[in-house]
Amino acid sequence: MSRSSTSSLAACVWIPLFPLRCEEARHEGLAVYPTALLAPDTTRKLWQVSSLARHAGVKPGMTVSQAIGLCPTLRLLEPDPVHYDDCFASLLSALNEVSPVVEPGDLGLVYVGTDGLEGIFGRPDRILAAIREAVRPSGRPTIRLGWGQGKFVAWVAASRSKPDDAIIVPVGTEQAFLASQPISVLPLDSDTHRRLRQLGIRSLGALAALPEEAVTAQFGALGRRLWRLAAGRIAEPVEGRIAPEPIVAALTFFTPVGERELLAHALDQLIARALKAPRRIGWRVHAVRLRADLEGTSSWLATILLKDATADAERIGAPLKTRLEQSPPTGGVERLVLEFTAFAPGTSELQLFARDAQAAARAGQQRALQSAAREIRMRVKRAALYHVIEVQPWSRLPERRYALIDYEP
Amino acid sequence: MVAPSRAPLRADRLRAVNDPRPVAVELNADGSPAVITASDGRTVGPSDGKIETVGETWRIDDEWWRKTISRVYWEVILEGGKRVVLFQDLISTEWFMQLP
Repeated sequence: MSRSSTSSLAACVWIPLFPLRCEEARHEGLAVYPTALLAPDTTRKLWQVSSLARHAGVKPGMTVSQAIGLCPTLRLLEPDPVHYDDCFASLLSALNEVSPVVEPGDLGLVYVGTDGLEGIFGRPDRILAAIREAVRPSGRPTIRLGWGQGKFVAWVAASRSKPDDAIIVPVGTEQAFLASQPISVLPLDSDTHRRLRQLGIRSLGALAALPEEAVTAQFGALGRRLWRLAAGRIAEPVEGRIAPEPIVAALTFFTPVGERELLAHALDQLIARALKAPRRIGWRVHAVRLRADLEGTSSWLATILLKDATADAERIGAPLKTRLEQSPPTGGVERLVLEFTAFAPGTSELQLFARDAQAAARAGQQRALQSAAREIRMRVKRAALYHVIEVQPWSRLPERRYALIDYEP
Repeated sequence: MVAPSRAPLRADRLRAVNDPRPVAVELNADGSPAVITASDGRTVGPSDGKIETVGETWRIDDEWWRKTISRVYWEVILEGGKRVVLFQDLISTEWFMQLP
């Protein structure tokens, strides 16, 4: 269901504060106000902050009351991760028009493989111009571009470029370019960053000047990787993945739902339904995405990469239910959508399952039920079998207590 | 490439059970319901909708933050013994019937 291609020459497309930019594109005139996005969890802290808000002293991680105290005109926005995900997907799609090798990173960060594109567009600056042109119709003015050998060099170039500008690192000049860059461009955790600064290492050149063994002895395998990145010894290629079309199952509630039990129940139904999709047969599920459209314009999103690919409903549902418990949607859910987005080839687990006598009997009953349901559907020309499920059994409104959901044996 | 995540979806929907059914109601002098007539042409019960006993009555005012719900409920028993719940929507003034 998936195949990949690689490219050693890379362009990095970076749109800092991507979710905030999506909101500014959606709400005309928002960019002229100090703005902050709330975190997509229940902490109600600030997640992303516009430059105008930063000038007023507002920082990510602050509470709403702290931020309003510093900047009374601050505009607060509820997060809509599903919308940002859609915008990012359209960005990837636009970049795919320029190159077939596109690798998404975090939201707003994309690597584009440029091997062979010189034959179409010419020099690297022309390739970057084509990328800018492809992205522009989506209205993203603050794009930063970098180009070089391998993803890290391209990323450093993009992160050091000015808004709406590009830095090109010619092949063979990587070490000279990297040497003057600050260590903050490395993929570091805050602790390692602090330790490096305490050792007086402030640039990639200073890090690369140390013996590789010494850095490895101090920081372990991470240190070795950091040293190699700083010295320009690693040039990781862009890995384009052609993602399969996701298997989607969705459920629209007739009234916004906040009860976690009901959401968990609906999730079980969606997993069961998605597992039955004919395209899934013979494949195990490796990545799952659960998204919820909430009341108003906000949304909730959980993306799970399963440690072991599986076709077992409980193992697929468990991490999603944990996420629902730990970081539930911040409003009533109007629509719940489950997507299987990555797959791994099936194993012999189905055959093993079939050897079990009881399981075989259950499978026989299931087939009989499916056959009966098919016959009914053919006769009445519509789905006529339903499950009655509890929706809000405690509701004072009788019509809210129970609901019917399609029954597909 | 990655397909847009809001690709066309199969429209699966929960179907409500016990949806309120619009009815016309004749009232007694004291304002309590006396006779129910179906607005949709179907029969109300075995007794042409004549109410034998009026039981509990209660009022619900809710969801003012979304779409206000304001109803007065009557639990009644029709002649013949069928028990139903009637309510008047105080915003539209329409009457509805549903199962308890």
